Amino acid sequence: MAKKILIPSLVVSSFALLFCHVLFAADKLNVVATTTTLANIASEIGQYKIRVASIASPKQNIHHYAPTPKDVLKVKKADVLIHEGLDLEAWRQPLLDAAGNSRFFGDGKYSIDVSRGIPLLEIPTSLSRSEGDIHAFGNPHYIGDPENAKIIASNIAEGLTNVDPENAAFYRKNAASFNERLDTKIKDWEARMAAFQGAPVVTYHRSWSYFVKRFGLVVIGEVEPKPGIPPTAKHLAALIQQIKNKNAKVIIKEYFEENRTPKKIAEETGIRIVNLSQAVGEPENAKDYLSLVEQDISLLEEALGTQKGRVS
Amino acid sequence: MGTASADPTAGPNLVQEMADIKRMVVAMESHMEVLKSTVRAQNEIIERQNYRIEVFEKKQTSLPIQAAAMPQTPSPAKTLMQGGFNPDIGVVGTTQGKLTQNKADIDGNNTIVLKELEVNFAGAVDPYSRLDATLALNDNLEDQNIDIEEAYYTRWGLPLGFTTQLGKFRAMIGKENLMHAHQLQTADYPLVIQNFFGEEGLSSSGARLKNSIPNPWDLPLEFTGEILRGNNGESFSGISRRPIFNTHLKSFFEPSQDTNLELGWTTLFGDENPPRTILVDDGTGVMVEEEYTPAEGQDRYGVKVFGGDATFNWFLPEGKRVMSQSEIYFQNRTGRVYDNNAPWGFYSLVEYRFSPKFSTGARFDYLNPLDVAGRQGTTSISPYFIFWQSEFADVKLQYSHTVYAGGEKTDNAAFFVVDFMIGAHKHVVQ
Repeated sequence: MAKKILIPSLVVSSFALLFCHVLFAADKLNVVATTTTLANIASEIGQYKIRVASIASPKQNIHHYAPTPKDVLKVKKADVLIHEGLDLEAWRQPLLDAAGNSRFFGDGKYSIDVSRGIPLLEIPTSLSRSEGDIHAFGNPHYIGDPENAKIIASNIAEGLTNVDPENAAFYRKNAASFNERLDTKIKDWEARMAAFQGAPVVTYHRSWSYFVKRFGLVVIGEVEPKPGIPPTAKHLAALIQQIKNKNAKVIIKEYFEENRTPKKIAEETGIRIVNLSQAVGEPENAKDYLSLVEQDISLLEEALGTQKGRVS
Repeated sequence: MGTASADPTAGPNLVQEMADIKRMVVAMESHMEVLKSTVRAQNEIIERQNYRIEVFEKKQTSLPIQAAAMPQTPSPAKTLMQGGFNPDIGVVGTTQGKLTQNKADIDGNNTIVLKELEVNFAGAVDPYSRLDATLALNDNLEDQNIDIEEAYYTRWGLPLGFTTQLGKFRAMIGKENLMHAHQLQTADYPLVIQNFFGEEGLSSSGARLKNSIPNPWDLPLEFTGEILRGNNGESFSGISRRPIFNTHLKSFFEPSQDTNLELGWTTLFGDENPPRTILVDDGTGVMVEEEYTPAEGQDRYGVKVFGGDATFNWFLPEGKRVMSQSEIYFQNRTGRVYDNNAPWGFYSLVEYRFSPKFSTGARFDYLNPLDVAGRQGTTSISPYFIFWQSEFADVKLQYSHTVYAGGEKTDNAAFFVVDFMIGAHKHVVQ
């Protein structure tokens, strides 16, 4: 009895699946990017020739994001995967395993690692979890430096060219145009931040190393005692002393990081808390990479500017 | 004029050629821009490397002894020679302290034990497949042993996008059955999972086939079919005649940018296998083991289990999160082994992660158990608290108040659990 039902059911299901695969086949290059920022840069380059989806929510910590069944489906259907490489997205491999899209296994042409050619900071000399959640290949938050966004754009253009050589000129032209716009903005941002060269700042996590280096700020400490380790009372006491000694101006944190500890520090030291983001879509009016960095710079300019009198 | 009259198509061709050349020039210009930015980036890298070399050389001249003692970064070739093909290895330990009143607790009452030490191995087999294995070492008082908790081979890329898994794995039943003990929010598995599938859920040898069902709404619809070994878990224990068939269907919705909801449905068919031996009264009040052969043999698929699961996540600002998870299971049995023909149970759990360091929550359990006939149910309430020391270590505190079926017995238990891990450890996307 079971066989009578099972075999026809399997045959019917197989044909239904085949029919659906053909019916819903894509007409554009399906691109999935691990972050909203990469998705935005990819859409600048691929424009109407690609369909872009992103994985991690801009409102959540990229390190701790838990992929959902919807993400599995996106990766399963994708022709191209764009990711930040290194070990930023610790969940990337389990997601690829769940999706089982063999295009993305190994270093094939369908998997675009945008970290290629990026000069990395904070490469550890030894690996031990006693140093917290350190990154084996170096600090992976390189997207904070807009100069690196130019390398990312070029990597995406070359990656798309490898997959879709017919539109090579289109992708390269758009990457060049994006980089040109970025060059103009970088000059503007650097000019505006020049007034704050050497200003001491505190960051919550070590995710702003590239950004502060580009704009000449100096990090005197982090709220986390070690990367990824929640703050302790002992560490906070030392940090508060450090802030007072060095007259630090602002705590730079991301929206998803808790406010309670920075507020406690601010109450004792008068330091300002500034929420910045590296993810397009957080806050909602940061609709693309340029407006995201513009917003970060404006907020920082305002925070540092209002305390200009306190700059030593 | 002469040329034009000799070849009337020359004019339009020339225009076309000019347009092509223009397009090529534009493309070459853009390519040049990309190359320029690449060269700039490479120059930056070279500058940095030169600076590093300078610093390193200075250190070597000033501190020759220390420099010689420093570990050298292995070259790629050396790394390969030294085991670049070795699998990812991780170790997860769970230590549990437990205070209970229940005299029937086989672990004893006030105990502390290394509950489990899991050793994980994982890696690609070839471009089409991978292997994941978890060996669990237990420090049970009289029965220290090593269990194969999971060891399965995954093969992707089958026709129509199917994936298969072969070996031993945690069966695709609801949500918590898929989790290893250290992944649970609570100190123990829900009562319905323990009673229906075993103290740590149902992990079984078998074969699994899964795929996403394409649909016009782009809705994630994942179907999993499993054939499992026949005598497995509390509900299907005993002598196996036929395998267990399990199917699971899962869908996922995002009502808003900050919320998501996962719904699943599980159906299991298996035999109600009689136990190899049963306990009988020898006439003097002493219970002795006796070989048992059912008079009517086994019924085909005498056990049917149906279950639903729902998980809701609400992501709040500053990394806070509210999570609610519930599972409900019903059974339809022939009643050959256990007294209860229609046991059922559910649990409902709510958790609030209110800071990077702390979560709190509570689980409510209801169970109409396999071995208690009638409508009597066991209820339990378990508030808990989790301290997240880091991503790699956590401490769980839980209190459980249980009223057993019939209401005659109650138990109060307190759990203190510490989970810790080293090495490579990645959780499967569920």
